Formats: sequence, C-alpha cells, structure tokens
Amino acid sequence: MRKVLPKACLNFFCILVYIFLAAPIVVVLLSSLTTTEYIVFPPKGITLRWYAELINHPEFMQSFTLSIMVALGTSVISTIIGTMASIAVVRYEFRGKTAVTQLIGSPLLIPSVVFGVALLQFFSWIGLAASPVALVIGHFILTIPFVMRLVVASLVGFDRSIELAAKNLGAGRLRVFFQITLPVIKSGVIAGAIFAFITSFDDLTVALFIVSTDVVTLPVRIYTYMQYQYDPIITSVSSIMILLTVILMVVIERILGVGKVFSSKN
Amino acid sequence: MQAELEMNQEQDIQFKQMKKKKSKKRLDSWLLLLPALSIFLFFFLLPLVFLFITSFKNFDAATGIGHDWTLQNYAKFITDQFYLGVLWRTVKIALITTLAAVVISYPVAYQITKVRGRMKNYLTLLVLSPLLISMVIRCYGWVILLSNNGVVNNALMKLGLIDKPLTLLYTEFSVVIGMVHVLFPYMVLSIMGSLERIDPSIIRASQNLGAGPIRTFFSVILPLTLPGIFAGSVMVFSLAVSSFVTPAILGGPQVKVMSFLTYEQVSTILNWPFGSAIGFLLIFIATITIIIYSKLLTKSEKGVAIQ
Amino acid sequence: MSYLCLENVVKTFNKTEVVKKMNLEIKKGELVSFLGPSGCGKTTTLNMIAGFLDVDGGSIVVDGKPVHLLPPNKREMGMVFQNYALFPHMTVFDNVAYGLKLRKVPKSEINQRVLEALEMVRLSGYEKRYPKELSGGQQQRVSLARALVIKPKVLLLDEPLSNLDAKLRQEMREEIVDIQKKVGITTIFVTHDQEEALAISDRIAVMYEGRIEQVDTPVAIYNHPQTDFVSRFIGEVNQIQGHVVETFSGNQCKVSFDGYHQVLSCPGTKDTLIDFYLRPEKIQIYQEHSEGLRVRVERKMFLGAKTRYILQLKDQQFIADISNTVLNPDQIIEGQDVLAVWNPEELLATKK
Ligand SMILES: Nc1ncnc2c1ncn2[C@@H]1O[C@H](COP(=O)(O)OP(=O)(O)OP(=O)(O)O)[C@@H](O)[C@H]1O
Ligand SMILES: [Mg+2]
Repeated sequence: MRKVLPKACLNFFCILVYIFLAAPIVVVLLSSLTTTEYIVFPPKGITLRWYAELINHPEFMQSFTLSIMVALGTSVISTIIGTMASIAVVRYEFRGKTAVTQLIGSPLLIPSVVFGVALLQFFSWIGLAASPVALVIGHFILTIPFVMRLVVASLVGFDRSIELAAKNLGAGRLRVFFQITLPVIKSGVIAGAIFAFITSFDDLTVALFIVSTDVVTLPVRIYTYMQYQYDPIITSVSSIMILLTVILMVVIERILGVGKVFSSKN
Repeated sequence: MQAELEMNQEQDIQFKQMKKKKSKKRLDSWLLLLPALSIFLFFFLLPLVFLFITSFKNFDAATGIGHDWTLQNYAKFITDQFYLGVLWRTVKIALITTLAAVVISYPVAYQITKVRGRMKNYLTLLVLSPLLISMVIRCYGWVILLSNNGVVNNALMKLGLIDKPLTLLYTEFSVVIGMVHVLFPYMVLSIMGSLERIDPSIIRASQNLGAGPIRTFFSVILPLTLPGIFAGSVMVFSLAVSSFVTPAILGGPQVKVMSFLTYEQVSTILNWPFGSAIGFLLIFIATITIIIYSKLLTKSEKGVAIQ
Repeated sequence: MSYLCLENVVKTFNKTEVVKKMNLEIKKGELVSFLGPSGCGKTTTLNMIAGFLDVDGGSIVVDGKPVHLLPPNKREMGMVFQNYALFPHMTVFDNVAYGLKLRKVPKSEINQRVLEALEMVRLSGYEKRYPKELSGGQQQRVSLARALVIKPKVLLLDEPLSNLDAKLRQEMREEIVDIQKKVGITTIFVTHDQEEALAISDRIAVMYEGRIEQVDTPVAIYNHPQTDFVSRFIGEVNQIQGHVVETFSGNQCKVSFDGYHQVLSCPGTKDTLIDFYLRPEKIQIYQEHSEGLRVRVERKMFLGAKTRYILQLKDQQFIADISNTVLNPDQIIEGQDVLAVWNPEELLATKK
C-alpha cells in the first residue's frame, strides 16, 4: 500500500503533463476539420474544406517552398562548416582555441531579437536586401552552436587508430575523411543537420527582421496572417506542417533510430 | 670534414622539411576554422558591435539614428516607471515559468528514468516532440485553447464553475503557460541527466538502512539532483527572459516584455537607438544570470566536497 | 644484406628524447620482436617506421630506399593495431578489401584475394559480418588479413595479442608465426610479454628508455644477456653476492658464497665482493650433498609442472624453480634446511 499510492499519484500527474504537452497540437489538428467559418474546438462536423481552400492562398505554398529551401541551405552549409570547425577544435591545438569555441557558442547567450535587429541594421548598411541568402546567413549563426555540439560529441569518442589503419593501407587524407571518419561520425553529423533544419524552418524571430513583402518564410507568414484573421486556414497549414514533421521523424527513426539521433553516439 | 659538412646539410634539409610540416598543421586548423570564423566575425560580431554603437546615438525622427553620442537611451529606460515595469514583468514571467517548469518536469523526468526499453524511447520522444514542432504552431494551439470561447472557458462554463468567460488569452498567465510548454523539454533533459547519474546502489543503501521510498526520495534523490534542477533552471530562465515568439503570440501588446519592446521600438516606432539599448539591457540580464549561476555552481560543488 | 634498416633514428617529444639514436637491421623474412617495459618507446619506433610519426633525425631504409620522408599511405607497410582498428561501418569483406580497392585492383581479383586472405586466417564464411559481431580473436584475425592482403613490404604488429585472454593469446601467436613463415614477410612484433617474444621471434630487440639494449636470438638473449637491464628484464633472476677468496691466471677466481666455494671465470681481485645473477631454474636443492649453500626453505608454491621454493639465507631471499619430476615437493618440508647447488657456468656476472 505504502508503495502503490505514491506510484499511482506519480503516474496520474505524469499523464496530466503529457495531456498538457499534447493539447495544443491535438487542438490544432482537430480544429482544421471544422465546417465553420471560424475556429472552434471541438470542431463542428468534419470536412477537408480548409485544406482545399489552400489552393486560393498560393502565398502559403510560396512561403513553404521558401522556408524549405532556406532550411535546406542552412542545414547543408551549417553542417559542412560546423563539421570542419568541430574537427579543428577537437583535433588540433592552437592558440586562441578557447576564444574561438566561446565565440562560436555565444549565439546561445544572445537573445534572437537582438541578433535579428543587429543583422537588419547591418544588412541595410551593406545594402544586402531581404533574400534567401540573407536568411541563410542569419540562420547559420543560430544553428551552428548546436551542430558543433553534436559533431564535437561524436568526434570526442572517436578512435583515431582506424584513420591510421586506413592511411597505412594507402588512403590519402581526403579519402580517409570521406571513407572512414565521416561514415563513423555520421549519426552526430546527421543529428546536427536535422537540428539545423528544424531550427531554421521554425525560426520566426530573426526572420521577422529580414523578410520583405515578397520574401516571407512560413512562420512569418502564419504569424502575420493570424494577427488579422482568425479562420481555420491557419490550422490546416499548421496541420500539414505537423504531419510533415511526424513523417520526417518516422523516416529518420527508420534510418537511424531515435536513440541514435538524440544521444548522438553510436 | 667533408662528410661532416654533408651531414650538416642533410640535417638542415630535414629540419626545414619538418618545420614545414609543423606550420602546415597549424595552417590546417585555421583553414578548417576559416569559413566559420569569417562568417561569425562578419555577420555576428560586427553587427552586434554596430548595434552597440547605435545604442549610444541619439534618436533622429527623420533617419532613425542621429549623429550625436548620448547615454540618454539607457537613462530613459532606467528612469521611466513604464519601462522598469516591463523589465520587472519580463523577469517575473521568467521566474514563474522556471518554477512551474521545475514542478512539472521533475515527476516526468523521474518516471522516464524508471521505465526501461521501448517505453522509455517513446516517452523521451514524446517529451522532446515540442522541440520538433514549430513554436508558432504550438503557441497558436494555446490561442485556440485559451481564447474567450476557447476550450478551457467552455469547459469551465459547462461545469458551472464560472458563468462568463475568464480573460485567459493575452495575459501573463497565457504567456507563462506557453513558455512552460516551449521550454519544458530543456528542464526535463537536464533533470533526467542528473537522475541517471545517481548510482543505484546509493538508493539501495538508503533503503537498506530503513528509509521508505518517500523518505529515500527526499533525503537522497532530491538533494543529489539539485545540480540538474539548478542547471535546467538557469537554462530555462535565460531562454524565458529573452524569448520573443511566445510573448508575441500569447501576450501581444497587452503583455509587453523586453524582447517585444525591442521589436516594437525598432519596427514600428523606428527608434533604433532606444531599441538597441533595450536589447543590450536584455543581453546584460541574460549574461548576469549565467555568471551568478556559474559562481553559485562552483560554490555548491565546494559545499558538496566538504560534506 | 638487411632489408629494413634504422639508422640513428631519433624522436623527441617536448624536448625529451623518447627514441635515442636507434640502429637496427632486419633481414628479409625475419620476425623481430621489440620487447621492453611500458614507455620505453616501442610504439613510437613502430609509428615512425609506419610513417605515423616523423623522425626527428636519422633515416629508415626499406629494400635499399629511404622511406622516412614518405607519408604513411605511400610506405606499403601493413600494420596490425593493438585495438584492431577495424572500420566499424564496413563488413569483414570490405575491411579486408579496402587496401586493394585503393590500389585499383580489378574486382574479380579483389574478391579472390580477400577470400584467400580470410581463409588463411581461418575466417571463411564471416565476410558479411560487421566487426561488432566478432569476438576479440576474430577481430584480430580480420586485422591481420587486412594488413597482409595488400602484400606489404613489412608487417608491423603493435601488441596485437594484449587484449586477448591467456589461452587465445597462445593460439593466436602460433597462428601468427605460422602465417608469417608461410608468407615469408619481414615482421616487427611489439610486445611487453617476454614469454611471447621468446616463443615466436627469430631475434629480439630488447629496448629500454629509448635505446636498444641488445638484439639477439631468444636463446642468446636468455643465456647471454649483455647488459644488466637485459639480465633482470628477461626471465626472473636472483641476485647473489660472492666474495673473491683467491685469483688464478686467465681470469679465473675462486668465489665463496657464504662458504660455498666455486671456481669460475670472471675478472676479479682478491677480497672484493661481486654481484651475480642466477636464474631460478638453475638452482637445485638437496637435503644431503657434498657441498652447497646452506639455506632454509621458507615456503613452497606448487606451480603445476614445477614447484617454486622460497629460500632464506640470512636476510636475503632466493627463489628456486624445480621440476616436480626431478624433486618430489613432498620430500621438502617448509622450515627445513637444505643445500642449494648450481653450476658455476650459470652465474651471470653483472656489468657495473
Ligand atoms: N604524442 C606524445 N607526446 C609526448 N610524449 C609522448 C607521446 N607519445 C609517446 N610519448 C612518450 O614517449 C615515451 C614512449 O612511448 P611509447 O608509446 O613509444 O611507449 P611503449 O614502449 O609503446 O609503451 P607501452 O608498452 O606502454 O605501449 C613515453 O614516455 C610516452 O610518455
Ligand atoms: Mg605501446
């Protein structure tokens, strides 16, 4: 008895927390099915009308494509450059190493709003207009600390004798990297790439300062749309994004396994 | 004599080759860092330095940024009751969020570390899933839930607990709810980390000495996880202080916080110098938190060592 | 004509010389062990030969060509690492095939050579496994096959057996020697296990503090150590002090070991003390004998085929290892006095 009661309380509490966690997501998904002109929960009737309605709003599709492109670009660039920098930091001793690591980690300390404002001012001074490139630059800074953390973690436990073995068998430096090192730290690099993709795709704060009327990322589009409208279109757009995330996660889980992505160790 | 000379030459050549190799190594590391560093210097450090300079300029209604140097922007902030109120609200919301996050995260972290196998993976994924789904969407979900004819109000009215809708949305309450939801995973991960580091034999030892599960929890497990709670709290607090999306969507202009104020000054009022000054005050608060945290952490580690 | 030649090879780490002007010549097809205590520079030397470390002086010549300035991937040396260093993301087959692929060997030939190499290390049928799915001994064999399949000029093994259990170690070391002789490859084998070195080597290079103390056949190393370090390091030794009581012409002298007189050839002057080393298995003990050193049996330890006797002389202890077929241990009682006897030729004079 003494043992069962606390456990039941614990489980009950945890279930409440899980409901709290799931609630806003479930609400968005379900309200997208409503037949009414306004958002209501629980939905009245069931229809896919608000998904069909998206055809009349090509701007969402445009923003979606832009966001995907920016996120892909950020992810690729941030992963490549971040992996290079991680190798330098883990493998080499040089003067100023701590300063360099601290600098690259510092975006975690700077509120994104301030960084966004700073970037906007800087871009307007150097005459760089709102563009996918400008967005990628901003997102690169936001994502690289995460990429480096994950890649460094997978490099730290790396047994370097397999690189020596490959050299010994006749492989040059580039071959050793692409055929031996990279495949082994793969899970850390992929986790970094996923993290970078999600962070970029999700970013509102920095993008808010960089976008212009024809370069609008999806989070900015949704944010501005819901300032003025309260119709279920938003919920159908959001539902599609949620479903895409879930599909992405399932695919990754199939390829790598969740544990691998999050523990970033093999 | 001749042979010696040759030897010397040979050694010289070898020496030069080796020097080359050494400097090549140093070059390697800088080449690898070059792209990251140059982007950082050019698009991170430089913009922030310029913004810092801007925060000491006067406001010019025509161009935004004037030419004169001034401390007026900072002075304006710390002398105006309204702005100080915003600062206090920002800190208050962050503190409440942190506290609430600890309270709801701890049991969940505890439960997850107790279960094994597949279930553990699923629960971890569930807890982390908020990180994967767009923050804007999650906050929007809370808008639907908390609005005047939203789910919560409807339910409360049906139950007869209230007879007219409560104002839940665009209040400090809704901002806290949203922030807890957004920042919860960081706290859980941090606490889980410290729970998993506890040596199971310590718990067995406590039970062996006659402590029941509750007693064991409060006298052994909780104290040992304090560093994890502490680390998670600092993380959540500094993220909460500087977060923008959640207060913007769930608080709006009605619940202004520092980050929203910065945004507003820069994009609607176009007072760049003042907006910058607010931004740097925000950085200042976040940095102070981290510094106090690391000070306290070294102190508490010493304390543990003495015990 | 030596095949692999180290000339005055030097390696310095942070101003300390870890390898000091090392010279060594190895003949084609020979198996030479590097034997020495931890930290004496064995791995460092091996890594310089393989090209993983640059030499700080001197040269390394293979087959008449200096190689010490070549990068490791141009040296054609096969290396087997202590921790095997198998590529975790490749199957056994791909691990072994890797070096051949780099050499652009045609596919059909790769296939054939890999299968042959795996057969040689008795791992046929394991091609599709990943390193994680193999036992330590099997991983070691894959590593060996991977090094040998490219037909390297020299095979380098760095403590290849130290992660295996005792029984497997013995099996594997015999297998390695078998394969080495069959292939006829020049081999350097690093170990700090002297039994291993004695068992498998054509010659042993005993190393100490970055220097080669002696290079010789196992028999010569064991029976005729050239330096104090080698005497103490190889096998177990007792240290025993004798008093020179008389000298004869031709470096002969009569030495008293606490009253046990022996005539032996060694340079000495009358009335001086000399230290000798004596191997435990060279001592016999008798309950009754015409002469010998009178000692007390402090303790005896049964070690299977032989028994170890701890002998006490005043405040000094000796050990004697005697085969149980020569002396039945039951005849000796702990605490009893016996006579210790040895052949004067077995005494190794210390070099001071
Ligand atoms: N990279 C390095 N930097 C500085 N000192 C080193 C380095 N590598 C080795 N040493 C030093 O060089 C000496 C020889 O090391 P080495 O690894 O060759 O020893 P070893 O004979 O292989 O020992 P073991 O039997 O323990 O493997 C040691 O004192 C070691 O501390
Ligand atoms: Mg070694």
